[in-house]
Amino acid sequence: MNKTVNINLAGIFFHIDEDAYLKLQRYLEAIKRSFTDSQGRSEIIADIEARIAELFNERVQNDKQVIGIKQVDDVIAIMGQPEDYIVDDEIFEDEPQPVRPKKTGKKQKLFRDPDNAYVGGVSSGLAHYFGIDAIWIRLAWILLIFGLGTGVLLYILLWILVPEAKTTAEKIMMTGEPVNISNIEKKIKDGFENVTETVGKAAKNVTDSVTNAAKNVDLKKQSNNIKSSSQTFFDAVSNFIMFFVKLFAKFIGILLIFVGAATLITLIIGLLSVGVVDIIHIPGLDMVEIANTGNTPIWLVSIFTFFAVGIPFFFLFYLGLKILITNLKSIGNFAKFTLLGLWLISVIALVVIGVRQASEHAYDESFNQKVELPVTANDTLTVKMVSSDSFHSSFNRNNGFKIKHNEAGEKVIYSTDINIRVKSTTENTAKLIIEKHADGSDYDIALQRAKNIVYTYEFRNNTLYLNDHLTTHVKNKFSDQEVYVYLYLPENAVVYFSQSTKSFLSYYRNSNNLVSRELTNHYIKINAEESECLDCPEEDDFEIEVHTPKLKINDDGIEITTDGNEIKIDDEGVKATSETVRVNINSDGIEIDSDENN
Amino acid sequence: MKIENTKAQMRKGVLEFCILSVLKDEDAYVAEILDTLKNAKLLVVEGTIYPLLTRLKNAGLLSYRWEESTSGPPRKYYGLTETGKLFLKELNTTWSELHNAVTIVTSQKTTKNE
Repeated sequence: MNKTVNINLAGIFFHIDEDAYLKLQRYLEAIKRSFTDSQGRSEIIADIEARIAELFNERVQNDKQVIGIKQVDDVIAIMGQPEDYIVDDEIFEDEPQPVRPKKTGKKQKLFRDPDNAYVGGVSSGLAHYFGIDAIWIRLAWILLIFGLGTGVLLYILLWILVPEAKTTAEKIMMTGEPVNISNIEKKIKDGFENVTETVGKAAKNVTDSVTNAAKNVDLKKQSNNIKSSSQTFFDAVSNFIMFFVKLFAKFIGILLIFVGAATLITLIIGLLSVGVVDIIHIPGLDMVEIANTGNTPIWLVSIFTFFAVGIPFFFLFYLGLKILITNLKSIGNFAKFTLLGLWLISVIALVVIGVRQASEHAYDESFNQKVELPVTANDTLTVKMVSSDSFHSSFNRNNGFKIKHNEAGEKVIYSTDINIRVKSTTENTAKLIIEKHADGSDYDIALQRAKNIVYTYEFRNNTLYLNDHLTTHVKNKFSDQEVYVYLYLPENAVVYFSQSTKSFLSYYRNSNNLVSRELTNHYIKINAEESECLDCPEEDDFEIEVHTPKLKINDDGIEITTDGNEIKIDDEGVKATSETVRVNINSDGIEIDSDENN
Repeated sequence: MKIENTKAQMRKGVLEFCILSVLKDEDAYVAEILDTLKNAKLLVVEGTIYPLLTRLKNAGLLSYRWEESTSGPPRKYYGLTETGKLFLKELNTTWSELHNAVTIVTSQKTTKNE
């Protein structure tokens, strides 16, 4: 019993046994490969199919009869083997020589090898392609899998994109000449020789034809000959150019694969480390969660980013593969449009999320806390920064934030965004205003967040101890929480800012801020809308600094040099040197030295 | 050098000329051309003729028209174009010259050998 297939050959319907059908298909495929498009391949094939249909028709007595392997063999015997179709070319030398089918037969292509497959046959296919043992390719895969799992992705892509070697012809193409370094070299060399040979031959043809034409009376025929010879010549030149264009294209292909693969791999690692970790809640990564005031799940943002960036690079990668591997399968229009759609959705989603995130900072609200300090005129106030014991750390002061645990063991946002400003007041006592700021998508949220800022200080013994950090519960998210400490001091009060306050003060000193960074560690007297430093070193009224090769006058002392003589006065004493005598006056006494004892 | 190749090439060299000659008087479709050529033992397998016909057609020496067939697919009837006729005329001259030359050369050889 045999399974049959229905076929349509040149418009005629046939029942054919499955094995006979496969044989016929292989036969037609082989013939197809014997021709190039420039020879009118499709037309020739159509003619041949029509003839085969005719021959079958002669062998079928009625509609019910099935064509078996015997009939196919008969027809092939009549039509001849694929080789019988191709030999012609050599005898028509005036025709431009198409690419010889022999050559295309030799050309190796990348296929998946189903016969030696462990998974998808990609490794053994690559092994054939590079002419090495498949074990090395498999080892490389395993290494890549352990190396961040990128091998899996690449393997799956190749599995999808590289066609399987099904027919014998494809298998021959697959196993053909291995592409290794020495063969690549050989190929390039062959390519060169081929090109130079054809150019040379064509040039010779042209000259031959010209001399022949001069000799021969039959001008018309010869002019034809010249024409075709010059055609061959230009063909050769274009071959030559194509050779380099192809070489360049391969290079670009390799580059694209590298760029595409590297980006995809990076993105996948990024997606795994942020996205997945977010879903399974690994401690330490909640930083991202708290900065994310828009409340969009991080894994969603990661996936959108992955698609928005990854898809263009996937296409680059695919393009590179396509340039390098000529018989690559198309990923199909469905896949292409799906990817394009996914990309558009991701980009739009990211824009929406971005707008939402930005709107979270639309309102900046502050909440004020006002306290009187028992500091009056002529009192001296000292200001120091303190850090709480439980938060003690070497955290660099910047506008960032940290996640910490407070005494109660709760998770809190910790920030050192504290700013101190000093102003004068006409009232009799000092006052302290603590202004807490936070952002939010509307007034209420911003105000609530501002209120939720925890900031403490302490006042004792005429010393103000300000905390160097603020804290707030993580549920408030990090929304630019900051604290401004305004210190209003009565006129004639004196204030001393310790070194610890330096980085919390402003760089500038003006009527709105009477104490700047450079005034720490000094006693500052507050006047109306201005301040006065009581113990700052007096600046020199005048300053002389002379620096010439012979004379130097500066803070260190005086130094005069002439030929052979030198006098130096500095902190150590007086030193005078002539060619033969040295005089040294210092705290030890006076010392005179002479080389000449007469 | 294989004798088979030389034989095949000799045969194929004149094949183009013979195809044109078959179509000299009347149009014919592939099977008819094939019959003539096969009867003359000029052709062993049929496959060879298809690329040749396409080549001659592309060169403008042949043209064809479709004709329905009572049994089987529609047939391509080939015929000579004006260029084809001129081409054939020229080939005829060349062939008779060649024939003469070959006869002279081969017969001379035999007389010398005797």
